[in-house]
Amino acid sequence: MKRERPRWYKLDSAGILYSALQTEEYSATYRFAAVMAEPVDPDALQRAVDRTMPRFPGFAMRIRHGVFWHYLEPNHAPGPFVRPDVSDPCQPFRFREDGCWLIRFYYYERRISIEVFHALSDGAGALTFFRALLAEYLRQRGHEIPVGNGVLDLDEPPRREEQEDAYSRYAGPHTDRLRRMPKTFSNTGTPEPFYTFHVTMGFVPLDRLKEQAGRYKVSVTEYLAAVLLQVLLDQQEKKNPHRKRQVALAVPINLRTLFPTQTLHNFIMTVRPFIDPALGDYTFQEIIAQVHHFMRLHVNRQELQSAFTRNVRFTRNRLLRLVPIFLKTPVMSRNYRRQGVDPFSCTFTNPGAFEVPDAMRPHIQRMEVVLGQATVPRCHCAAISYGNTMEITFAGTQVETDTERDFFRFLVREGIPVRIESNR
Amino acid sequence: MPYCVSCGVELNPNAKVCPLCQTPVWHPSPPPPAAPYFPTQPAVVKPASKRSLALILTSMLVSVSFCCGLLNLLLPTRHPWGLYVIGGAMMLWIWFVLPLLARGMPMFLRLTLDVAAVGVYVYLIALGVHGQDWFYHLALPILAVACVVVFCLSFLLRGGRRSILTSAMLCIVAAALFCLGVEVCVDWYLRGAWTPQWSLITLVICTGLLIPLLVIRCVPLLREEVRRRFSL
Repeated sequence: MKRERPRWYKLDSAGILYSALQTEEYSATYRFAAVMAEPVDPDALQRAVDRTMPRFPGFAMRIRHGVFWHYLEPNHAPGPFVRPDVSDPCQPFRFREDGCWLIRFYYYERRISIEVFHALSDGAGALTFFRALLAEYLRQRGHEIPVGNGVLDLDEPPRREEQEDAYSRYAGPHTDRLRRMPKTFSNTGTPEPFYTFHVTMGFVPLDRLKEQAGRYKVSVTEYLAAVLLQVLLDQQEKKNPHRKRQVALAVPINLRTLFPTQTLHNFIMTVRPFIDPALGDYTFQEIIAQVHHFMRLHVNRQELQSAFTRNVRFTRNRLLRLVPIFLKTPVMSRNYRRQGVDPFSCTFTNPGAFEVPDAMRPHIQRMEVVLGQATVPRCHCAAISYGNTMEITFAGTQVETDTERDFFRFLVREGIPVRIESNR
Repeated sequence: MPYCVSCGVELNPNAKVCPLCQTPVWHPSPPPPAAPYFPTQPAVVKPASKRSLALILTSMLVSVSFCCGLLNLLLPTRHPWGLYVIGGAMMLWIWFVLPLLARGMPMFLRLTLDVAAVGVYVYLIALGVHGQDWFYHLALPILAVACVVVFCLSFLLRGGRRSILTSAMLCIVAAALFCLGVEVCVDWYLRGAWTPQWSLITLVICTGLLIPLLVIRCVPLLREEVRRRFSL
């Protein structure tokens, strides 16, 4: 009998980077959590996980070390198993431990959380998975949840389009030259011992936030990004008054709105709104205008396409393909430090509103999002809205709370009520 | 609902202090105890095991040492060449296996052990060729110079925070000083006095390399240009 060879899948260009960056101290991880109306039933959650995973084979993978690249292989290990939640979320994934799973499921009181390794999927893909999981969990609890409105049918086979590498599909003929971005104000603090991860969440009413953003004629994302830039500028003024560097944010953009695809894998690019205080002082209105016009000017099909085409070409380069992975990995890590860490003061991501069918709405109270630890001791900011609540999380391994404190104080001064929860 | 008097944010009913500014919260009527918003159970994270790799490397080094030692005993030879192999294996063990087993070892202790391992290895060679004289008067001083240079360089480069230019300049200075130290030791051993020759040539070459790097380092425009050209 002919023995079937195990199937394997190439990582997309983002997945290649995140796998190469994986160390004992850092792995690109993020968490989505839903706070339910009732306490979580772990058995029902486990049944829901068991039903959902086969529909999303892209999440049931493990990463293997090849000679030239990392690659994905279907994971047939038992699990993944749901487990009680822990105090420090988003801990690094180890490729050879925990059944080699790259996704984790947690429960605590009324909260269901998933943690995903970024090489598997981006926020949009993970939210599709999470929506299907929550729908199935509610079904297991005896509620009638129809398929549709973003909830995928678990009985249908996985669609081929959901597994496509959209970067390769849309890689164009033109590529942007890699420009060196200037170093920015790093906003780093005192590192905590390893595996200590501080999470501070602020809950704000979305209508008030929209109203305030509307006053400046910008979107909620632009408004929050501008507040964060203002806070970082103030931090730099306090900490480094004599050496004014640029203050810049890494804002991931979901490319699905510009390039139609059903992929559940990574399909994001980062843009870099920034303020250069060396040019002079900026008022908050001017910062908002800068962010607004930057986003309008740079979030376009051509610019983003040329940027991700460059990454795709890197993975297709015949010469680079022949370089063994142990030589490529340190170079990629160093380049990531220069192109992905040093030119940014903070990451700010807003995956948008979490939409669910009407039948699910009464069972979910709010949504939460946490970005995993940065490569340096500084905080990342992430926001997600559900219903009329916008949840904004600051998470990091640093002792200081300056950034989140000033950010939420700024919102309070703007007349937006904030409720705070923290694991500090 | 309690509010922080400093930040103006609403807090968890059971909060004792504001998590943003650590301002204490005073409750006129303490609320009934409730489960904390976040779990308090820390994750048990096993440190990644490097023991298996250490075990494999140790067994390889031990078997090579044992075989060579046995061969040296069995073969009719006057020269104890097996000692060199055993010494080399010991040195490699200290260099590569010990860091796997003792991962939290301070860098300077590790460097001390590395240098000591080289010293022991050279001593074994000296024993094999009856060269205690050159060991004490030549090898040991050179080793001491190397030790000082490596320690100083490691101290200056610690944390990896220096730029590539600065690191390169420090390495060049260290190389020049080491060459100078080696020639001093050799001259003292052979002639009893220092007569500077080849180390001065090295010093001049290193200075020649240093000057343009120093200019690039000090002129921001040049520095940016070099960074752009070489994608540093």
